Amino acid sequence: MCAHATAQATGTEKGRAMGAKRILTLNVNGDDYEVVCAPNTTLLEALREKAFLTGTKRGCDLGACGACTVLMDGEAILSCITLAVEAEGRSIRTIEGVSDGGELSPLQQAFVDHGALQCGFCSPGFIMSATELLAENPHPERAEIQRRLAGNLCRCTGYVKIVEAVEAVAQGAEGGAR
Amino acid sequence: MRLPRFEYYQPGSLAEAVTMLSQVPGARPVAGGTDLLVNMKHRVEQPAALVSLTRVSELAGVRLEDGATVIGGGVTLKHVQHDEGLKARFPALTQAASVVGSYRHQTMGTLAGNLLQNTRCRFFNQSVEWRSVRALCYKAGGDYCHVMKKEGVCFCTYHGDTAAALLVLDAEVRVEGPDGVRQFPLAQLYSGEGKAPLSLGSAEVLTAVIIPDSSATDGDTAGGSTYVKHALRGAIDFPIVGAAVWRNGDATRVAFTGVDRSPLRATVLEEALAGRALTPAVIEEVAPLAPKGVTITRTTVQPGSFKRELMSALFARAAGSLL
Amino acid sequence: MKVLNVVGQRVPMHDAAAKITGQAQYTDDLVLPGMLFGKLVRSTVAHGRIKSIDVSKAKALPGVKGVITGMDIPDRVYGIVPKAKDEHALAREKVRYIGDEVAAVVAIDQETAEEAARLITVEYEELPAVFDPLDAIKEGAPLVHENTPGNVSAQIHKEFGDLEAGFAASDYVFEDSYYTHAQNHAPMEPHAALASYDALNGDLTLWSGTQIPYFLKRNLSTTLVIPEQNIRVIKPKVGGGFGQKIDMFAKDFCACWFAKELGRPVKFLYDREEVFQSTRQRHPMYLTLKTGVSKEGKIIAQKITAHADGGAYNSTAPLMITLSCFFVMIPYKIENLVYEGYHVYTNKPVGGAMRGHGIPQPRFAIERQIDQIAKRIGVDASEMRLLNAIEAGEPHPAGFIINTCGFADSVREASKAIGWAEKRGKLPFGRGVGIACASFPSGVANMSHLASGCVVQLSSEGRVSVLSGAADIGQGAETVIAQIVAERVGVPMEDVHITAADTGLCPLDAGTFGSGVTVRAGNAALNAANDIRAQLFPVVAEALGCEVDEIEAANRLFWVRDDPDRSVGMRDILRQYQYIDRSLPIVGRGAWVPPADSATTLLTNNGNLSPNYSFMTQAAEVEVDLETGRVNVIKVLTAHDCGQPINPMLVEGQLEGSILGGIGYALYEDSTCIDGQQHNPSFLDYGFPTMMELPEMEGIHIDTDDPIGPFGAKEAGEGTQLAPAPAIVNAIADAIGVDFDRLPVTPDMILAALKKQREEAAGEAR
Repeated sequence: MCAHATAQATGTEKGRAMGAKRILTLNVNGDDYEVVCAPNTTLLEALREKAFLTGTKRGCDLGACGACTVLMDGEAILSCITLAVEAEGRSIRTIEGVSDGGELSPLQQAFVDHGALQCGFCSPGFIMSATELLAENPHPERAEIQRRLAGNLCRCTGYVKIVEAVEAVAQGAEGGAR
Repeated sequence: MRLPRFEYYQPGSLAEAVTMLSQVPGARPVAGGTDLLVNMKHRVEQPAALVSLTRVSELAGVRLEDGATVIGGGVTLKHVQHDEGLKARFPALTQAASVVGSYRHQTMGTLAGNLLQNTRCRFFNQSVEWRSVRALCYKAGGDYCHVMKKEGVCFCTYHGDTAAALLVLDAEVRVEGPDGVRQFPLAQLYSGEGKAPLSLGSAEVLTAVIIPDSSATDGDTAGGSTYVKHALRGAIDFPIVGAAVWRNGDATRVAFTGVDRSPLRATVLEEALAGRALTPAVIEEVAPLAPKGVTITRTTVQPGSFKRELMSALFARAAGSLL
Repeated sequence: MKVLNVVGQRVPMHDAAAKITGQAQYTDDLVLPGMLFGKLVRSTVAHGRIKSIDVSKAKALPGVKGVITGMDIPDRVYGIVPKAKDEHALAREKVRYIGDEVAAVVAIDQETAEEAARLITVEYEELPAVFDPLDAIKEGAPLVHENTPGNVSAQIHKEFGDLEAGFAASDYVFEDSYYTHAQNHAPMEPHAALASYDALNGDLTLWSGTQIPYFLKRNLSTTLVIPEQNIRVIKPKVGGGFGQKIDMFAKDFCACWFAKELGRPVKFLYDREEVFQSTRQRHPMYLTLKTGVSKEGKIIAQKITAHADGGAYNSTAPLMITLSCFFVMIPYKIENLVYEGYHVYTNKPVGGAMRGHGIPQPRFAIERQIDQIAKRIGVDASEMRLLNAIEAGEPHPAGFIINTCGFADSVREASKAIGWAEKRGKLPFGRGVGIACASFPSGVANMSHLASGCVVQLSSEGRVSVLSGAADIGQGAETVIAQIVAERVGVPMEDVHITAADTGLCPLDAGTFGSGVTVRAGNAALNAANDIRAQLFPVVAEALGCEVDEIEAANRLFWVRDDPDRSVGMRDILRQYQYIDRSLPIVGRGAWVPPADSATTLLTNNGNLSPNYSFMTQAAEVEVDLETGRVNVIKVLTAHDCGQPINPMLVEGQLEGSILGGIGYALYEDSTCIDGQQHNPSFLDYGFPTMMELPEMEGIHIDTDDPIGPFGAKEAGEGTQLAPAPAIVNAIADAIGVDFDRLPVTPDMILAALKKQREEAAGEAR
């Protein structure tokens, strides 16, 4: 049984006329970026390809791994299944907006010190999710940390040192997440 | 995987949203997008236009109204689970909302969106490239069902978590469309059919979920409610089977998700429990009846026998926790 | 454990800050002006002849800059093992699995490329397909490759000792069969490539998320028909590999092809689904073990027959099946052994190197059978492992030279730490403990390209620059090498700057596979750093008025060992170096190849196949939910002999990641292939463990100091993924009395087994 992909892929061939591009203003890490996007551009695509902020990663593009996590009005969301147009008027924070100039945030420093990253591809997503958590609750218990970070997948570390790094910040370092 | 192109509207009010939905050809509503956008990337759903509900303020809020609790359809699962009033009175809903996907999905996703999620199947929820290995399936616009191996049927399974909880809470839904407002029991939202699983007009918006006070269980009532989920992993996954149980005195309600084309009340089980006090012995006695009345198909890789055993086990566990 | 100034310290990865701030650049982060975007078109049939490919609609789509099929490119096959090359970048005439590449298109943006790919229509004449290796080897089975009758593309038969005499001398002989399934590496970063071409001098540059830059360069040269010297492969940051980024892939070839044809940079990025279906996976394997033991449990003879499901192409086939064979010979002494291994083609996704590379599968079988045999003959499973344990320095049937071996200690320590005596067979029904053992080579020796080179430069300002071929894919190879150099040159980590895995700049290294980088590239770096010392220390000795071998160096300071006040700083020495008209930078060169007394080739001869071997015992405690079948892994601990860890924090990281992958292998992950198609090619459906699946983990260091490894180190990256799965399944057997002979062990299997157990008990009670 051989079906043809074209039968199902109506997509942009006739649809080029629809969903025309428009200029969006995206406030990212405090700066207003004017980008040209069609409505079908995801926030992840806008960040990486239009604003050239490549710190946010594409792991699966379907919202199942958390590598694309960014903060929108302080809430950690999946940018690969968020439309860029929905992010207009909101304040977006990406991994590039976490360190203060050249200085790592306490959470980032804890990841470095505890060996909570290896290949580093999942790390920006984890930092955003953990930043949200610590801003809300500066001293979460381990179970809470696990639940809140469970949407971020990591293949290298086995999660142990990630939990330890977040706990280190939760248990004592002043400043917590920024 | 790029989204297909579409027109995009961002109405500021419910009336505007309904107008757009009824006037723009092929328009569909979207809120969090965690279900719809993934299906659009897979090109199993390709609406010509999306009407965003994120700026429709009428969909927000949790409030008390005439002997019921009214939860706006646009309230996120995150807000549902953190609402103290809901947690105290309708714990099954709180529990269900807190196990949907990951915390990210709970942050983005709305209660209405979770209820209205599309049914699922391993042949349907795949990319256009994946699906082009075989004939277009019936639900995706073709003729043939690869699970049932025949034409013109669809047994796509419903996997939403909150629906099971809300069914045992005897929830109703309020829906607004060009012909006005209607309110009806949640169970009637679902057609029971896999291809077109919702009984909702194309221009209708689910504006609120209404839970009657009579379903509330708190310190004073002899009972409670709970939702128990079995999935492969402890996060991200849809339920393989989810069971919700509500109990107040000798009244017990049970609902399941993940087992049929819609979420459903376990009527055979409930009849066997009618008027009886819930005890461990009674639970053990009736648990085998849990899978009665559902049609489990191989829309997921798990065998049907396993899902039936899970239904009994999860019912027993959920009911047991309410003793 | 050796803790020196830098080596042995818990040093963060040198690029940790770049990664944690999002500045580190992976292949898809790279942007070049004028860049085009590519997309591959893949087969929708498992086995078929290509009748026609219509690219006209794709070509006509505005924004499309090029389309190619297999007939547009040279008829050259490639593969990571030269004698097993069998893949074309784009299929010619025939497709062999669903996902096989048939065409490629590039366009000015990703959206257009995806749309264009969908406009390409391919007509196939479907051929009968074969989906199981045991079917594929049968008479009359469809041939996946015409030149491989019987579909066996690699095999190994090894005999040691006298098997039949061994069985005859055994008190018991048991035969058991096992099956292990397809696991996907699932690195977080999907595969990507970016190529750029300079038309003036014919130079092609490829940035690729690869583990094997030098092999990739060679394969590109062969397939593109361009001299190797005109190709430069640069490995950017890689977001994990675990073996899946060994091999050239269509994205590498096609990016280069189009860059050269169109004179513009071209990028290809795979979707997650393509990573699941069309890159690599762990070979499923059927294994039969016939084992003869004494009544005490000593293994006297063993015959292992293995059929590996290779999928449609070879990838590392001969290497995988050979490793699978030889490394059943550690950690137990087996004097009489026959191993028959077959790599079998099927019309399915391709098996390749995955962490452990052909060894986890027999390891599962062997460790399960040991437990089963122990129970049958009434001996303790931990004692039985000790009884058969290899020791350092003993002669080995295959010729391995085992200089250091902490294996027996690891069995004792792991058993003690998991509470073996108190818990095994004694916990309430549903709860159990199990152990399993493993050993792994630190890279395999005596193959081509196994030398490694390193250049270290010490500049006038005290900057230490290292050029190494090592391919860091996140495991920290660059950091370990920098630590070694820092230690020997006598500077802190921050003075060392490493450029690695750029074939245009850096000396050769075979790449990241077989867990050989620390030993091989580490030793090359050590030699290069020693070369620096050899040039520098005479000047230091002159300055301090001592002998060269009296000098200690650390933190930019040199001093006389027995008189520390006599010291001089690096700055001063470098100035003096200049004044005496020696040239700066001081350049140190080093190379290293594993020592061998005689030339052996892994694939044909015996011999010492690795410079050294790691040993470990892993123990698990599990609790089975008797109503839902879910297995909760409570704790996994590893007693681990990896020699002297260069960086204990990185070693722990390898261990912890390995274990979670092993838990996935045992319980959650299964690339479910039905009629040749993966039914769960996504992170939603695949079962990749989340933080919710995290058990308590413990590592116990078993101390050995290896003479061959740099600073006494042995491998630490792969061995620890061999035994978690059997340890868990052994623990399940202890918990519920069910012997599972296949992976993964899923809740439905547990419930079905418990039901059968109840029915049998009821039957007996009558």
